[in-house]
Amino acid sequence: MRSTISTMLALLLGLAPLRSFALDHDNLDPNRPIGMEDAYAIPKGEIGLEGGVRFNDRREGRTRVTFQPQIIYGAFDNTQIEIQGDLMSDPHTLVGAAKSGDLHLGVLYNFNTETINLPAFAARVEVDLPTGVNSKGVDTQLTGILTRSFGRLRAHINAGYTVLGSPQAQERPGAYRAVVAVSYPLGYPTSFSDTLIASLYTRESDLRGQRNHSGIELGLRHQLTSRMVLDGGLGTEFSGPADRAALLGTIGLSVGF
Amino acid sequence: MWRSSIRVGAIAALAMVALSLVSCSQFEPRDKRFYYRALWNFALREDLAELDSEFNGVDFGHSNLYENLLLTGGKDVPAIEDRARTETLAFIATKPRLNPNEEAIAPTYMKLAWRAQNVFDEAHALHRATYDIMASNEPDKDRAIRNVVAYYRESAYALTAKRLDHRRLDQFPYSKTFRQRFPLFNATIWSYHYLQVAVYDPLQAARDLNAKTQAVRPILATYRRYLDQPPVEWTFMPLTAELSPLFAARYPEIANIFDNLHMLHDNISDILASDLLPAWEAKRAEIYRLVDHYYLASADATNPMIVQEREHHH
Repeated sequence: MRSTISTMLALLLGLAPLRSFALDHDNLDPNRPIGMEDAYAIPKGEIGLEGGVRFNDRREGRTRVTFQPQIIYGAFDNTQIEIQGDLMSDPHTLVGAAKSGDLHLGVLYNFNTETINLPAFAARVEVDLPTGVNSKGVDTQLTGILTRSFGRLRAHINAGYTVLGSPQAQERPGAYRAVVAVSYPLGYPTSFSDTLIASLYTRESDLRGQRNHSGIELGLRHQLTSRMVLDGGLGTEFSGPADRAALLGTIGLSVGF
Repeated sequence: MWRSSIRVGAIAALAMVALSLVSCSQFEPRDKRFYYRALWNFALREDLAELDSEFNGVDFGHSNLYENLLLTGGKDVPAIEDRARTETLAFIATKPRLNPNEEAIAPTYMKLAWRAQNVFDEAHALHRATYDIMASNEPDKDRAIRNVVAYYRESAYALTAKRLDHRRLDQFPYSKTFRQRFPLFNATIWSYHYLQVAVYDPLQAARDLNAKTQAVRPILATYRRYLDQPPVEWTFMPLTAELSPLFAARYPEIANIFDNLHMLHDNISDILASDLLPAWEAKRAEIYRLVDHYYLASADATNPMIVQEREHHH
């Protein structure tokens, strides 16, 4: 597992061109670095390579490590498509929709830009193909996203519902997730390289009869070069099942070209 | 049962959001487009960083001005001439190595007139592309420039490449409001435009990177002098053909696009500063009216501002 992560990270870094314009560090994508996103797609024509390592130090059970390689492409006006394949440690112990090695395909469509009276709205549709370990059935997810700014502070709401194609044992056949978040560019008016993000989330547990996972996350996106954005995040779950996260951490890199 | 109801409800809610957006007068697509991808991308940033950092400062200046004009109602002279201008000069003095996020500089203005900002973004990307080509060792610069112009003209937000009558475009009821009320900041804006167009001929004439570095130094020195002592005696914006005549003769369409871009900047400054359009919605409507009727390439067939003869203002 460790060698796989090292190899893929090295590959990602190796692909980063020397001359590089950034994936906009203020354009927020899920898991880069925390589990929320804004309502905007990347520009039409842009290609992004994103990757990160996420650890979940659980209150019960072993710490779980996830490597998150992703390709995103601004395929059409206001539309990005995504291909992702998370690789996780202890893949045989996973429950819920996210299985190690599943091929994840997603489309994000942004309906509008924010105006004085209207927030920005977007919808995301995702499917997880059962290519991973112990994975069965095609899982689907629909998420609505709203972004509204108040001066430089931007607020975001993500609300989604996942339907498992073939739930196993005590797995829920479907689960909702809701996130409220804010982001703020640090450094104005002399620097524009960093965006701070904070979120509060709740999601239904993977197994029936358990409490919702609820937690907070804090992340930072830093524009490293014209095309590269570095991100890092921390979080914790303050309520949920016994094996909920005590500490969540993410570090990642995005390259746009 | 209740889960399927949630699903149906969520889909219905999304459909309602989509329908309400389409029917809303303020609905605007975001429509951001990636720049023309080529090997010479960022040649200026890599090889002529001193000039590139000045352009990054210029990006801050326009957005910071618009945000402050909008939030102060265009009446507060110290807020613009002192505070906003000082902020801009301070940012330029940091010699930023990356262009700033303009939505973080002017969040309110971007919400007011996003479509106009898209027009600026596309034209600024053309500016950047032409600098990169000039700074690079691209062997066939003419072909590279033809390609980026063709890419630019594919955009729905492309400015007309025809010569516009800038005198007429400077005679609306609110015209000249900004330069009369805020002469220092106006001259600072014109100094940016001086820098943006004056470097083309020296870059084009220089044979290698060292020569290009030396060639732009006098332009940068003049520009910095203008920032210290804004040229308030100027009566009209700098024109490409006057400052880079060889570039304008070789690429007349690009010269027209840049002059039209700079004129639109002046128009929007006037609209934001004008008392004749006190409501934000009125300012937005007038900005979009100008863009749609007099500036976009898509209006070429009916644009009454298109002229053939050359202008001489200085």
